[in-house]
Amino acid sequence: MKKFLLFATLLICSAAFAQDDMQAYLDSLEKADAKKDYVLATFKTFKVINAQTTETTKHKTLDFRIIHRFGNMGVSSNGGGHTLWGFDDSRDIRFSFDYGLSEKLSVGIGRSKQFELLDANFKWRFMTQTTNNKQPVSIALYSTVGFIPQRKDQFYAGVDLAEFTAKTSHRFNYVTQLIVARKQGIVSFEVLPTYVHRNFVKGPMNPNGDFDSNGFFACGVAARVKLTKRVSITGDYFYIGSKFRRGTDAFYDPIGIGIEMETGGHIFNINLTNSAGIMENNFLPGTQDNWLKGGYKLGFSISRSFAFNTKH
Amino acid sequence: MKKIIALAVLVIATTGLVQAQMYKDKTCKVSFYSHTALEDISAVDTTGTMLLNTKTNDVIAQVMIKGFIFPNGLMQEHFNENYMESDKYPKSTFKGKINEKVDYTKDGTHNVTITGNLEVHGVTKPRTLPATITIKGGVITVDLKFNIALKDHEIKVPEAVGAKIAENIEVTVHTVMVQPGKK
Repeated sequence: MKKFLLFATLLICSAAFAQDDMQAYLDSLEKADAKKDYVLATFKTFKVINAQTTETTKHKTLDFRIIHRFGNMGVSSNGGGHTLWGFDDSRDIRFSFDYGLSEKLSVGIGRSKQFELLDANFKWRFMTQTTNNKQPVSIALYSTVGFIPQRKDQFYAGVDLAEFTAKTSHRFNYVTQLIVARKQGIVSFEVLPTYVHRNFVKGPMNPNGDFDSNGFFACGVAARVKLTKRVSITGDYFYIGSKFRRGTDAFYDPIGIGIEMETGGHIFNINLTNSAGIMENNFLPGTQDNWLKGGYKLGFSISRSFAFNTKH
Repeated sequence: MKKIIALAVLVIATTGLVQAQMYKDKTCKVSFYSHTALEDISAVDTTGTMLLNTKTNDVIAQVMIKGFIFPNGLMQEHFNENYMESDKYPKSTFKGKINEKVDYTKDGTHNVTITGNLEVHGVTKPRTLPATITIKGGVITVDLKFNIALKDHEIKVPEAVGAKIAENIEVTVHTVMVQPGKK
Protein backbone atom coordinates (compact mmCIF):
# COMPACT_ATOMS: atom_id res chain seq x y z
CA MET A 1 0.00 0.00 0.00
CA LYS A 2 2.78 2.35 0.98
CA LYS A 3 4.62 1.51 -2.18
CA PHE A 4 1.53 2.10 -4.22
CA LEU A 5 1.03 5.50 -2.58
CA LEU A 6 4.61 6.43 -3.30
CA PHE A 7 4.21 5.36 -6.89
CA ALA A 8 0.98 7.31 -7.27
CA THR A 9 2.50 10.43 -5.73
CA LEU A 10 5.46 10.23 -8.05
CA LEU A 11 3.30 9.81 -11.10
CA ILE A 12 1.11 12.75 -10.14
CA CYS A 13 4.18 14.86 -9.45
CA SER A 14 5.78 14.07 -12.78
CA ALA A 15 2.54 14.77 -14.57
CA ALA A 16 1.99 18.04 -12.71
CA PHE A 17 5.51 19.16 -13.45
CA ALA A 18 5.28 18.29 -17.10
CA GLN A 19 4.40 21.84 -18.16
CA ASP A 20 7.05 23.34 -15.92
CA ASP A 21 9.55 20.80 -17.21
CA MET A 22 8.74 21.84 -20.71
CA GLN A 23 9.15 25.49 -19.83
CA ALA A 24 12.49 24.74 -18.17
CA TYR A 25 13.55 22.74 -21.19
CA LEU A 26 12.49 25.59 -23.47
CA ASP A 27 14.48 28.08 -21.40
CA SER A 28 17.55 25.86 -21.54
CA LEU A 29 17.24 25.62 -25.33
CA GLU A 30 16.97 29.38 -25.51
CA LYS A 31 20.04 29.96 -23.38
CA ALA A 32 22.06 27.53 -25.46
CA ASP A 33 21.62 29.57 -28.60
CA ALA A 34 21.04 33.06 -27.26
CA LYS A 35 21.72 35.25 -30.23
CA LYS A 36 22.90 38.81 -30.06
CA ASP A 37 19.93 40.88 -29.14
CA TYR A 38 20.56 44.35 -30.49
CA VAL A 39 19.10 47.48 -28.97
CA LEU A 40 16.76 49.03 -31.50
CA ALA A 41 16.18 52.66 -32.37
CA THR A 42 18.69 54.38 -30.12
CA PHE A 43 17.63 57.43 -32.08
CA LYS A 44 14.63 57.68 -34.33
CA THR A 45 16.39 59.12 -37.32
CA PHE A 46 19.93 59.71 -38.51
CA LYS A 47 20.12 63.33 -37.39
CA VAL A 48 19.19 64.83 -34.00
CA ILE A 49 19.16 68.57 -34.84
CA ASN A 50 22.69 69.40 -35.88
CA ALA A 51 24.35 66.18 -34.77
CA GLN A 52 24.34 62.89 -36.63
CA THR A 53 23.19 59.79 -34.74
CA THR A 54 24.37 56.19 -34.81
CA GLU A 55 21.30 55.32 -36.88
CA THR A 56 21.83 54.60 -40.54
CA THR A 57 19.32 54.42 -43.36
CA LYS A 58 17.68 51.00 -43.33
CA HIS A 59 18.89 48.34 -45.71
CA LYS A 60 17.67 48.79 -49.29
CA THR A 61 15.79 51.92 -48.32
CA LEU A 62 16.14 55.31 -50.02
CA ASP A 63 15.45 58.28 -47.80
CA PHE A 64 14.65 61.61 -49.43
CA ARG A 65 14.86 64.46 -47.01
CA ILE A 66 14.37 68.21 -46.96
CA ILE A 67 15.76 70.12 -44.01
CA HIS A 68 14.92 73.77 -43.65
CA ARG A 69 16.24 76.54 -41.42
CA PHE A 70 14.42 79.84 -41.24
CA GLY A 71 15.99 83.16 -40.23
CA ASN A 72 16.74 84.41 -36.73
CA MET A 73 13.74 84.93 -34.50
CA GLY A 74 15.07 87.60 -32.15
CA VAL A 75 14.80 91.35 -32.89
CA SER A 76 18.47 92.03 -32.11
CA SER A 77 19.52 89.38 -34.68
CA ASN A 78 17.54 90.82 -37.60
CA GLY A 79 14.42 88.88 -36.63
CA GLY A 80 11.29 90.21 -34.99
CA GLY A 81 7.96 91.16 -36.50
CA HIS A 82 9.36 92.64 -39.71
CA THR A 83 10.60 89.23 -40.86
CA LEU A 84 7.71 87.44 -39.10
CA TRP A 85 10.28 86.14 -36.61
CA GLY A 86 12.49 84.72 -39.28
CA PHE A 87 9.85 83.15 -41.49
CA ASP A 88 10.70 85.51 -44.39
CA ASP A 89 14.24 84.27 -44.45
CA SER A 90 15.72 80.88 -45.18
CA ARG A 91 19.26 80.56 -43.93
CA ASP A 92 19.75 77.06 -45.25
CA ILE A 93 17.82 74.41 -47.14
CA ARG A 94 19.23 70.98 -47.79
CA PHE A 95 17.95 68.29 -50.10
CA SER A 96 19.45 64.88 -49.67
CA PHE A 97 19.22 61.26 -50.70
CA ASP A 98 20.49 58.53 -48.41
CA TYR A 99 20.57 54.84 -49.15
CA GLY A 100 21.19 51.85 -46.90
CA LEU A 101 23.75 49.50 -48.45
CA SER A 102 23.32 47.21 -45.45
CA GLU A 103 21.76 47.44 -42.00
CA LYS A 104 24.98 49.08 -40.82
CA LEU A 105 26.29 51.07 -43.75
CA SER A 106 24.63 53.93 -45.56
CA VAL A 107 25.76 56.48 -48.12
CA GLY A 108 24.28 59.86 -48.96
CA ILE A 109 24.52 62.89 -51.17
CA GLY A 110 23.08 66.33 -50.57
CA ARG A 111 22.98 69.93 -51.66
CA SER A 112 22.70 72.87 -49.31
CA LYS A 113 21.77 76.46 -49.98
CA GLN A 114 24.52 77.78 -47.72
CA PHE A 115 27.70 78.16 -49.83
CA GLU A 116 25.91 75.99 -52.44
CA LEU A 117 27.58 73.10 -50.62
CA LEU A 118 27.51 69.74 -52.36
CA ASP A 119 28.29 66.84 -50.08
CA ALA A 120 28.80 63.12 -50.19
CA ASN A 121 28.94 61.08 -47.02
CA PHE A 122 28.90 57.64 -45.53
CA LYS A 123 28.09 56.27 -42.12
CA TRP A 124 29.17 52.88 -40.85
CA ARG A 125 27.88 51.61 -37.52
CA PHE A 126 30.52 49.05 -36.69
CA MET A 127 29.25 48.28 -33.22
CA THR A 128 25.65 48.03 -32.06
CA GLN A 129 24.60 48.08 -28.42
CA THR A 130 23.22 44.76 -27.19
CA THR A 131 20.60 44.23 -24.50
CA ASN A 132 22.93 41.97 -22.51
CA ASN A 133 25.46 44.87 -22.39
CA LYS A 134 28.28 42.79 -23.86
CA GLN A 135 28.43 45.67 -26.30
CA PRO A 136 27.41 48.54 -24.03
CA VAL A 137 27.39 51.21 -26.74
CA SER A 138 26.80 51.69 -30.43
CA ILE A 139 29.67 53.24 -32.36
CA ALA A 140 29.52 54.68 -35.85
CA LEU A 141 32.03 56.36 -38.11
CA TYR A 142 30.67 59.25 -40.12
CA SER A 143 32.58 61.06 -42.79
CA THR A 144 31.57 63.69 -45.27
CA VAL A 145 33.31 65.47 -48.14
CA GLY A 146 32.02 68.88 -49.15
CA PHE A 147 32.56 70.87 -52.31
CA ILE A 148 31.72 74.55 -52.67
CA PRO A 149 30.88 75.37 -56.32
CA GLN A 150 30.29 79.09 -55.73
CA ARG A 151 31.29 81.70 -58.31
CA LYS A 152 34.96 82.60 -58.07
CA ASP A 153 34.34 86.15 -56.86
CA GLN A 154 32.00 84.84 -54.17
CA PHE A 155 34.25 82.03 -53.00
CA TYR A 156 37.34 84.24 -52.85
CA ALA A 157 35.50 87.38 -51.65
CA GLY A 158 38.00 89.60 -49.82
CA VAL A 159 41.01 87.77 -51.23
CA ASP A 160 43.32 89.53 -53.70
CA LEU A 161 43.52 86.99 -56.52
CA ALA A 162 46.37 88.90 -58.12
CA GLU A 163 48.59 87.58 -55.35
CA PHE A 164 46.85 84.27 -54.86
CA THR A 165 46.27 81.40 -57.27
CA ALA A 166 42.79 79.91 -57.24
CA LYS A 167 42.67 76.12 -57.28
CA THR A 168 39.75 73.70 -57.47
CA SER A 169 41.16 71.82 -54.48
CA HIS A 170 40.49 74.90 -52.32
CA ARG A 171 36.81 74.22 -52.57
CA PHE A 172 36.90 70.89 -50.76
CA ASN A 173 36.29 70.44 -47.06
CA TYR A 174 36.06 67.37 -44.86
CA VAL A 175 34.43 66.30 -41.62
CA THR A 176 35.08 62.99 -39.87
CA GLN A 177 33.50 61.96 -36.64
CA LEU A 178 33.05 59.03 -34.34
CA ILE A 179 29.61 58.69 -32.80
CA VAL A 180 29.34 56.79 -29.53
CA ALA A 181 25.77 56.27 -28.33
CA ARG A 182 23.92 54.45 -25.61
CA LYS A 183 20.22 53.93 -25.02
CA GLN A 184 19.17 53.54 -21.40
CA GLY A 185 15.43 53.24 -20.95
CA ILE A 186 13.79 56.38 -22.26
CA VAL A 187 17.07 58.27 -22.57
CA SER A 188 19.45 58.02 -25.52
CA PHE A 189 22.76 59.81 -25.27
CA GLU A 190 25.75 60.22 -27.56
CA VAL A 191 29.17 61.84 -27.78
CA LEU A 192 30.70 62.93 -31.11
CA PRO A 193 34.43 63.62 -31.27
CA THR A 194 34.93 65.38 -34.60
CA TYR A 195 37.67 66.69 -36.85
CA VAL A 196 37.04 69.38 -39.45
CA HIS A 197 39.40 70.22 -42.28
CA ARG A 198 38.93 72.89 -44.93
CA ASN A 199 41.46 73.14 -47.74
CA PHE A 200 41.10 76.90 -47.91
CA VAL A 201 40.52 79.41 -45.13
CA LYS A 202 40.66 83.19 -45.28
CA GLY A 203 43.14 84.42 -42.75
CA PRO A 204 41.98 87.44 -40.78
CA MET A 205 43.18 87.74 -37.22
CA ASN A 206 40.57 87.81 -34.48
CA PRO A 207 40.71 90.45 -31.69
CA ASN A 208 42.67 88.02 -29.51
CA GLY A 209 45.41 87.70 -32.11
CA ASP A 210 44.47 84.18 -33.27
CA PHE A 211 44.33 83.15 -36.91
CA ASP A 212 41.94 80.68 -38.46
CA SER A 213 43.37 77.25 -39.14
CA ASN A 214 42.52 74.70 -41.83
CA GLY A 215 41.78 71.97 -39.33
CA PHE A 216 40.30 71.94 -35.84
CA PHE A 217 38.66 69.56 -33.43
CA ALA A 218 35.12 69.77 -32.14
CA CYS A 219 33.14 67.58 -29.79
CA GLY A 220 29.42 67.19 -29.74
CA VAL A 221 26.92 65.76 -27.28
CA ALA A 222 23.33 64.91 -28.10
CA ALA A 223 20.40 63.37 -26.29
CA ARG A 224 16.87 62.23 -26.84
CA VAL A 225 14.30 61.70 -24.11
CA LYS A 226 11.14 59.80 -24.93
CA LEU A 227 8.12 61.49 -23.39
CA THR A 228 5.58 59.10 -24.83
CA LYS A 229 5.83 56.21 -27.27
CA ARG A 230 5.82 58.65 -30.18
CA VAL A 231 6.95 62.01 -28.84
CA SER A 232 10.51 62.83 -27.80
CA ILE A 233 12.47 65.92 -26.93
CA THR A 234 15.94 66.21 -28.37
CA GLY A 235 18.93 68.43 -27.87
CA ASP A 236 22.51 68.73 -29.05
CA TYR A 237 25.58 70.88 -28.51
CA PHE A 238 29.01 71.16 -30.13
CA TYR A 239 32.09 72.50 -28.45
CA ILE A 240 34.19 74.12 -31.17
CA GLY A 241 37.87 73.58 -30.39
CA SER A 242 39.17 76.34 -32.64
CA LYS A 243 41.09 79.12 -30.89
CA PHE A 244 40.11 81.54 -33.63
CA ARG A 245 36.45 80.94 -32.81
CA ARG A 246 36.58 81.11 -29.03
CA GLY A 247 36.28 84.13 -26.80
CA THR A 248 35.02 86.47 -29.52
CA ASP A 249 31.54 87.68 -30.38
CA ALA A 250 31.91 86.45 -33.97
CA PHE A 251 31.48 82.72 -33.40
CA TYR A 252 29.35 80.63 -31.06
CA ASP A 253 28.96 76.96 -30.24
CA PRO A 254 25.97 75.40 -32.01
CA ILE A 255 23.14 74.49 -29.65
CA GLY A 256 19.85 72.95 -30.70
CA ILE A 257 16.67 71.83 -28.99
CA GLY A 258 13.80 70.08 -30.69
CA ILE A 259 10.70 67.94 -30.62
CA GLU A 260 10.32 64.71 -32.58
CA MET A 261 6.88 63.40 -33.34
CA GLU A 262 6.23 60.16 -35.07
CA THR A 263 3.05 59.37 -36.94
CA GLY A 264 3.24 56.06 -38.72
CA GLY A 265 5.91 56.24 -41.38
CA HIS A 266 6.73 59.92 -40.89
CA ILE A 267 8.87 61.67 -38.35
CA PHE A 268 8.33 65.36 -37.86
CA ASN A 269 11.21 67.21 -36.36
CA ILE A 270 10.73 70.80 -35.25
CA ASN A 271 13.66 72.55 -33.66
CA LEU A 272 15.35 75.75 -32.59
CA THR A 273 19.05 76.27 -33.11
CA ASN A 274 21.56 79.07 -33.51
CA SER A 275 23.40 77.33 -36.33
CA ALA A 276 22.51 78.53 -39.81
CA GLY A 277 24.17 75.70 -41.71
CA ILE A 278 22.72 72.22 -41.78
CA MET A 279 25.80 70.23 -42.76
CA GLU A 280 28.71 69.74 -40.37
CA ASN A 281 30.98 71.27 -43.04
CA ASN A 282 29.02 74.52 -42.66
CA PHE A 283 27.83 74.78 -39.09
CA LEU A 284 30.98 73.62 -37.28
CA PRO A 285 33.20 76.39 -38.69
CA GLY A 286 30.44 78.90 -39.35
CA THR A 287 27.94 79.32 -36.48
CA GLN A 288 27.89 83.06 -35.87
CA ASP A 289 24.58 83.64 -34.13
CA ASN A 290 24.13 84.02 -30.40
CA TRP A 291 21.22 82.33 -28.62
CA LEU A 292 21.23 85.06 -25.98
CA LYS A 293 20.68 87.74 -28.62
CA GLY A 294 17.76 85.98 -30.26
CA GLY A 295 20.00 84.29 -32.80
CA TYR A 296 17.96 81.09 -32.87
CA LYS A 297 15.95 79.97 -35.82
CA LEU A 298 13.13 77.60 -36.39
CA GLY A 299 13.98 74.50 -38.35
CA PHE A 300 12.15 71.45 -39.52
CA SER A 301 12.80 68.36 -41.52
CA ILE A 302 10.53 66.16 -43.54
CA SER A 303 11.51 62.84 -45.00
CA ARG A 304 10.02 60.15 -47.11
CA SER A 305 11.55 56.73 -47.39
CA PHE A 306 11.15 54.26 -50.20
CA ALA A 307 11.76 50.59 -49.42
CA PHE A 308 13.15 48.58 -52.30
CA ASN A 309 13.18 45.26 -50.53
CA THR A 310 9.79 43.76 -51.15
CA LYS A 311 10.72 40.13 -50.64
CA HIS A 312 11.12 38.29 -47.36
CA MET B 1 17.50 0.08 0.64
CA LYS B 2 15.41 -1.78 -1.86
CA LYS B 3 12.83 0.94 -1.55
CA ILE B 4 15.38 3.65 -2.25
CA ILE B 5 16.58 1.83 -5.34
CA ALA B 6 13.03 1.38 -6.52
CA LEU B 7 12.39 5.06 -5.93
CA ALA B 8 15.50 6.09 -7.79
CA VAL B 9 14.64 3.87 -10.70
CA LEU B 10 11.15 5.29 -10.75
CA VAL B 11 12.33 8.89 -10.71
CA ILE B 12 14.82 8.25 -13.49
CA ALA B 13 12.24 6.31 -15.44
CA THR B 14 9.60 9.03 -15.21
CA THR B 15 11.96 11.87 -16.05
CA GLY B 16 13.34 9.77 -18.87
CA LEU B 17 9.80 9.25 -20.00
CA VAL B 18 9.18 13.00 -20.22
CA GLN B 19 12.26 13.40 -22.42
CA ALA B 20 11.33 10.43 -24.54
CA GLN B 21 7.90 11.87 -25.29
CA MET B 22 9.21 15.33 -26.11
CA TYR B 23 9.20 16.53 -29.69
CA LYS B 24 10.77 19.85 -30.56
CA ASP B 25 11.33 22.29 -33.37
CA LYS B 26 13.69 25.22 -33.00
CA THR B 27 13.05 26.68 -36.43
CA CYS B 28 9.33 26.99 -36.08
CA LYS B 29 7.98 29.38 -38.70
CA VAL B 30 5.57 32.00 -37.44
CA SER B 31 4.19 34.56 -39.83
CA PHE B 32 1.48 37.16 -39.68
CA TYR B 33 -0.52 39.07 -42.16
CA SER B 34 -2.50 42.27 -41.85
CA HIS B 35 -4.84 43.12 -44.68
CA THR B 36 -6.55 46.46 -45.23
CA ALA B 37 -7.71 48.25 -48.35
CA LEU B 38 -4.72 50.59 -48.07
CA GLU B 39 -1.88 48.29 -47.21
CA ASP B 40 -0.95 44.64 -46.78
CA ILE B 41 1.67 44.02 -44.13
CA SER B 42 3.39 40.71 -43.47
CA ALA B 43 6.36 39.48 -41.49
CA VAL B 44 8.00 36.12 -40.85
CA ASP B 45 9.99 34.70 -37.96
CA THR B 46 11.72 31.38 -38.51
CA THR B 47 13.34 31.18 -35.11
CA GLY B 48 10.35 30.12 -33.04
CA THR B 49 10.49 27.14 -30.71
CA MET B 50 7.75 24.57 -30.33
CA LEU B 51 7.65 21.66 -27.91
CA LEU B 52 5.12 18.84 -27.80
CA ASN B 53 4.85 16.24 -25.12
CA THR B 54 3.14 13.29 -26.79
CA LYS B 55 2.49 11.64 -23.44
CA THR B 56 0.62 14.50 -21.82
CA ASN B 57 -0.49 16.33 -25.00
CA ASP B 58 1.12 19.51 -23.66
CA VAL B 59 2.25 22.08 -26.18
CA ILE B 60 4.48 25.12 -25.73
CA ALA B 61 5.26 27.50 -28.54
CA GLN B 62 7.40 30.57 -28.25
CA VAL B 63 8.57 33.26 -30.62
CA MET B 64 10.93 36.21 -30.17
CA ILE B 65 9.32 39.45 -31.32
CA LYS B 66 12.60 40.89 -32.57
CA GLY B 67 12.97 37.86 -34.82
CA PHE B 68 10.13 38.98 -37.09
CA ILE B 69 11.56 40.11 -40.41
CA PHE B 70 9.70 42.68 -42.47
CA PRO B 71 10.51 43.58 -46.06
CA ASN B 72 10.61 47.21 -44.89
CA GLY B 73 13.22 47.91 -42.20
CA LEU B 74 11.53 51.04 -40.94
CA MET B 75 8.29 49.14 -40.50
CA GLN B 76 10.17 46.47 -38.55
CA GLU B 77 11.53 49.13 -36.21
CA HIS B 78 8.09 50.64 -35.69
CA PHE B 79 6.63 47.19 -35.04
CA ASN B 80 9.16 46.60 -32.26
CA GLU B 81 9.28 50.11 -30.84
CA ASN B 82 5.73 51.39 -31.07
CA TYR B 83 3.41 48.44 -31.28
CA MET B 84 4.89 45.33 -29.66
CA GLU B 85 7.31 47.17 -27.31
CA SER B 86 9.71 44.26 -27.67
CA ASP B 87 12.19 45.63 -25.12
CA LYS B 88 9.46 45.28 -22.50
CA TYR B 89 7.79 42.18 -23.92
CA PRO B 90 10.48 40.29 -25.84
CA LYS B 91 8.47 37.15 -26.60
CA SER B 92 5.06 35.76 -27.28
CA THR B 93 4.09 32.31 -26.02
CA PHE B 94 1.30 29.82 -26.28
CA LYS B 95 1.00 27.12 -23.64
CA GLY B 96 -1.76 24.62 -24.10
CA LYS B 97 -3.01 21.08 -24.22
CA ILE B 98 -4.33 19.17 -27.20
CA ASN B 99 -7.93 18.24 -26.45
CA GLU B 100 -8.20 15.19 -28.69
CA LYS B 101 -6.49 11.85 -28.32
CA VAL B 102 -3.88 11.40 -30.98
CA ASP B 103 -1.98 8.21 -31.71
CA TYR B 104 1.48 9.56 -32.39
CA THR B 105 2.88 6.17 -33.27
CA LYS B 106 0.81 5.86 -36.46
CA ASP B 107 1.09 7.93 -39.59
CA GLY B 108 -1.94 10.11 -40.22
CA THR B 109 -3.52 13.54 -40.19
CA HIS B 110 -5.62 14.81 -37.30
CA ASN B 111 -7.68 17.96 -36.96
CA VAL B 112 -7.50 18.94 -33.33
CA THR B 113 -8.05 21.88 -31.01
CA ILE B 114 -5.53 23.16 -28.51
CA THR B 115 -6.75 24.96 -25.41
CA GLY B 116 -4.37 27.14 -23.51
CA ASN B 117 -3.07 30.61 -22.80
CA LEU B 118 -1.79 32.93 -25.49
CA GLU B 119 0.52 35.68 -24.32
CA VAL B 120 1.16 38.55 -26.69
CA HIS B 121 2.38 42.03 -25.70
CA GLY B 122 2.33 41.03 -22.04
CA VAL B 123 -1.39 40.25 -22.08
CA THR B 124 -2.49 36.64 -21.60
CA LYS B 125 -5.76 35.40 -23.06
CA PRO B 126 -7.29 31.91 -22.84
CA ARG B 127 -7.73 30.59 -26.36
CA THR B 128 -8.79 27.40 -28.10
CA LEU B 129 -6.98 27.19 -31.40
CA PRO B 130 -7.68 24.77 -34.25
CA ALA B 131 -4.65 22.87 -35.50
CA THR B 132 -3.73 20.18 -37.96
CA ILE B 133 -1.32 17.51 -36.84
CA THR B 134 0.36 15.36 -39.45
CA ILE B 135 2.41 12.37 -38.38
CA LYS B 136 4.73 10.75 -40.83
CA GLY B 137 7.63 8.48 -40.03
CA GLY B 138 8.24 9.84 -36.54
CA VAL B 139 8.08 13.46 -37.67
CA ILE B 140 5.18 15.52 -36.34
CA THR B 141 4.05 18.52 -38.33
CA VAL B 142 1.70 20.99 -36.69
CA ASP B 143 -0.03 23.77 -38.59
CA LEU B 144 -2.02 26.51 -36.91
CA LYS B 145 -3.89 29.44 -38.31
CA PHE B 146 -5.71 31.88 -36.07
CA ASN B 147 -6.52 35.54 -35.59
CA ILE B 148 -5.24 37.89 -32.94
CA ALA B 149 -7.33 40.95 -32.21
CA LEU B 150 -4.99 43.86 -31.45
CA LYS B 151 -7.44 45.21 -28.91
CA ASP B 152 -7.40 41.92 -26.93
CA HIS B 153 -3.71 42.37 -26.30
CA GLU B 154 -3.72 46.12 -25.72
CA ILE B 155 -1.71 46.86 -28.86
CA LYS B 156 -2.60 50.44 -29.64
CA VAL B 157 -2.69 51.84 -33.15
CA PRO B 158 -2.76 55.62 -33.55
CA GLU B 159 -5.74 56.94 -35.50
CA ALA B 160 -3.51 58.39 -38.22
CA VAL B 161 -2.42 54.91 -39.33
CA GLY B 162 -5.52 53.05 -38.18
CA ALA B 163 -6.69 52.50 -41.74
CA LYS B 164 -3.44 50.78 -42.67
CA ILE B 165 -3.37 48.16 -39.92
CA ALA B 166 -6.03 45.47 -39.62
CA GLU B 167 -7.84 45.06 -36.31
CA ASN B 168 -7.44 41.31 -36.57
CA ILE B 169 -4.05 39.95 -37.51
CA GLU B 170 -3.91 36.53 -39.14
CA VAL B 171 -1.17 34.38 -37.64
CA THR B 172 0.16 31.22 -39.26
CA VAL B 173 2.40 28.71 -37.50
CA HIS B 174 4.17 25.88 -39.28
CA THR B 175 6.33 23.57 -37.27
CA VAL B 176 8.06 20.30 -38.07
CA MET B 177 8.98 18.49 -34.88
CA VAL B 178 11.30 15.60 -34.24
CA GLN B 179 12.48 13.94 -31.07
CA PRO B 180 15.72 15.45 -29.78
CA GLY B 181 18.64 13.30 -30.82
CA LYS B 182 16.79 11.87 -33.81
CA LYS B 183 16.57 13.02 -37.40
